[in-house]
Amino acid sequence: MSGYVEGVIILIGINIIAVLGVSILTGFTRLFSFGNAGFMAIGAYTSAILTTKFNMPFIISLLGGMFVAALISLALGKLTLGLKGDYFLITTLGFGECTRVLIEFLDPITGGARGYAGIPQKTTLFIVLISVVLAITVARNLLNSKYGRNLKAIREQEIAADAVGIDTARFKQLSFTVSAVYAGWAGALFAHYYMFITPVMFNLDKSSELTITVVIGGLGSLTGSIIATTVLTLLPEVLRSVANYRMLFYGIAVVLIITLRPNGLMGYKELSASWIKNLLLQIRRMFRCRKEVA
Amino acid sequence: MFIQQLVNGVSIGGIYALMATGYALIYSLLGFSNWAHGDVAMLGAYIGFLCVATVRMPFWLSALTALLGAGVISILNERLAYRRIRRNNAPTMFLMIAAMGLSVTFQNMVIVFLGPKFRTYPPVIPVKAISLGSIKIGVLDIFSMAFVIIAMSLLELLITKTKFGLAIRAASSNMITASLMGINIDFYITLVFLLAGSFAGAGGVLLGLKYTVYPQMGNVSLKAFIASVFGGLGSVRGAIVGAFIIGIMEVFVSGFITSGLRDLFTFGLLIAILLIKPSGLFGIDIQDKA
Amino acid sequence: MKEILKIDNLTKKFGGVCAIDNFSVTLEEGTVHGLIGPNGAGKTTIFNTITGIYKPTSGIIEFMGKDITNKKPYQVAQEGIGRTFQNIRLFSQLSVLENVFIAGHLDADYDLFAAILRLSKFGKKEKYLRENCIELLKILGLYDRMNEKAGSLPYGHQRKLEIARALALRPKLLLLDEPAAGMNRDESKELVEFINELKEKFKLTILMVEHHMDVVMSICRRITVLNFGKTIAEGTPKEIQTNKLVREAYLGGEDVAC
Repeated sequence: MSGYVEGVIILIGINIIAVLGVSILTGFTRLFSFGNAGFMAIGAYTSAILTTKFNMPFIISLLGGMFVAALISLALGKLTLGLKGDYFLITTLGFGECTRVLIEFLDPITGGARGYAGIPQKTTLFIVLISVVLAITVARNLLNSKYGRNLKAIREQEIAADAVGIDTARFKQLSFTVSAVYAGWAGALFAHYYMFITPVMFNLDKSSELTITVVIGGLGSLTGSIIATTVLTLLPEVLRSVANYRMLFYGIAVVLIITLRPNGLMGYKELSASWIKNLLLQIRRMFRCRKEVA
Repeated sequence: MFIQQLVNGVSIGGIYALMATGYALIYSLLGFSNWAHGDVAMLGAYIGFLCVATVRMPFWLSALTALLGAGVISILNERLAYRRIRRNNAPTMFLMIAAMGLSVTFQNMVIVFLGPKFRTYPPVIPVKAISLGSIKIGVLDIFSMAFVIIAMSLLELLITKTKFGLAIRAASSNMITASLMGINIDFYITLVFLLAGSFAGAGGVLLGLKYTVYPQMGNVSLKAFIASVFGGLGSVRGAIVGAFIIGIMEVFVSGFITSGLRDLFTFGLLIAILLIKPSGLFGIDIQDKA
Repeated sequence: MKEILKIDNLTKKFGGVCAIDNFSVTLEEGTVHGLIGPNGAGKTTIFNTITGIYKPTSGIIEFMGKDITNKKPYQVAQEGIGRTFQNIRLFSQLSVLENVFIAGHLDADYDLFAAILRLSKFGKKEKYLRENCIELLKILGLYDRMNEKAGSLPYGHQRKLEIARALALRPKLLLLDEPAAGMNRDESKELVEFINELKEKFKLTILMVEHHMDVVMSICRRITVLNFGKTIAEGTPKEIQTNKLVREAYLGGEDVAC
């Protein structure tokens, strides 16, 4: 396999992990956050520092990045998850920006705005593939259990979720933390693949991009998120000329989808054997109707 | 030094206030934060810039075009995106996502068609400063403060003294009742978006004059958004107070601590206020009726 | 007879307005108690205060001998109080089965690791819960529509699903907020039988808000009449029907749909 193809697959894999985190948070719990790029930054910088300054093995750095992201999400969630949607959004945005500002400010440790260089390349195709499989399995198992059902209940009707005894604050926190762990995971893999990170890589636009991918894939669909990530990562690689228009295209797509077809590509549905069977049945029925008309 | 910084803070706070009132007006009516508001301001700044620098129109006409242009763009946002989502009875989160999409679209439209570089307005307003004792005030700052004061007074009159204001207040307290009372809601929503957009456009032009014009300049309106949250979402007066608090605080943190941590203080204070009073300083606690 | 719910001098003010004014009631186990009164009398506010959505200004709510006055909504539900909503609040994007499944979450007592690692405990509990839910849907006549989206059910079935969801919690007390809203005379007659059946089968105590007088009069052991947050009468259906105050304030005041 050429290095280029391998690189693209690694990039897709890292993006899938980050997007899955947002998918759980926004698609399944209906919490809109601009904080995920911040958690990616935390994962990236923590793991990079653990690897280079403390000579930790990669797996420890990786887990360390996820762990710190989880800790911070617990503290932040405690403060902000009780707030109403708009207030929550602005505080997560503030968190993202503060993370960036702090990284820039703590120059001696983080390299400031110039970036953090000299991270050894530890993220291999093999590690990314294992991570993706693990990330998807954990997300799927989580969502297909009472935990996932409770998140969906909060998304659909928070007051009713309360009324059937769901501790909504606790489950929102669960969703927020899982989402942060995924972001930290993706960030750590990212840092050890590119070997160089700067705070700007994890700015507001990155968070928007993650949310946009989830919306295009369809809110409430893991497979939708995975497909959308793959397509949207491949698109600028395959069509070089599109690359400059990428974000413009994202913006327009998300406005069109949310106004015209809010379910996105696969909203509230998962791609599965039975889904494909259903689709084929429908197509066949359509053809039969045509024949009868003819 | 202290008074000098205060003057600078009031000057920037005034521009935040122009944008923050727009957030507050729209929130009070539709119950969501129009995320794309800052980018409307950015587009206003660009319209003004193109008029002055490329078309070479006189400044007052350029500024007027920018105000109207931003107002129209703001209305289009509502007509083409938000209205449909409201009609679908979709969750508020969809409005926020649409606003984020619009914001990304506008920024990248400008990047693709006008380029990502920073631009400066030609010196339409003299960059001189007037000295009052030891304090210096730029002519531009005086101009911008005068404009802000006039605009805010007009808004205050509009909301408290006219039929339009009454209708808006009725609609923001209860949209269904208001529409039953025969208030044409859609008409007033359009008007509010026009007003908010024009204010944002004015803010954009003033920011452009003071600093530079660039595609991401709308992100400054985050400060305006925070100002409106600060004062309590939906409260116009709260938004104005919040804008001045933030403007002054920023100048002081930059001047006396370090400019690197300016935003950290702004967001820190925001979180602190929300923790103490979750609905902002002037916000009303609303209990969701089951 | 055992007391199951005891509300003492409950008051709830919004701003300066008294939505509930010194409301007291005692429910005996296994009975149906009706709350009636004109619109805005404070009936739904009482439900919302019992279930913890609103914090009472003063007063005590005791459930099975336990003070639940300042508990959070989910805690009240976990104590064993289920409810339905006047304006239906189903998890509308989810299937009928999932709606009930969610409400049964307390029976699924596995932990996060069991769920993620798919331990055998997870499988067992899920299977057991699923069977229970299907059983419940059969009893409520929703079995055939199990896989339909809750939001696309016809109105009457949505009301039934709300009840099914509340029952999946296995509550001891059920609060029904206008279960017969939008039903015609035959349908509401059916509903009365249905509720009686459920009451026996699930050993329920029921507190219900209802506008349909025929429903209230035929099903309730006792009735409380509210007006402007104040209790103007309490008694058996017969006593209420003949109560002069009630007639003046309520029955005589407007045409009652029955």
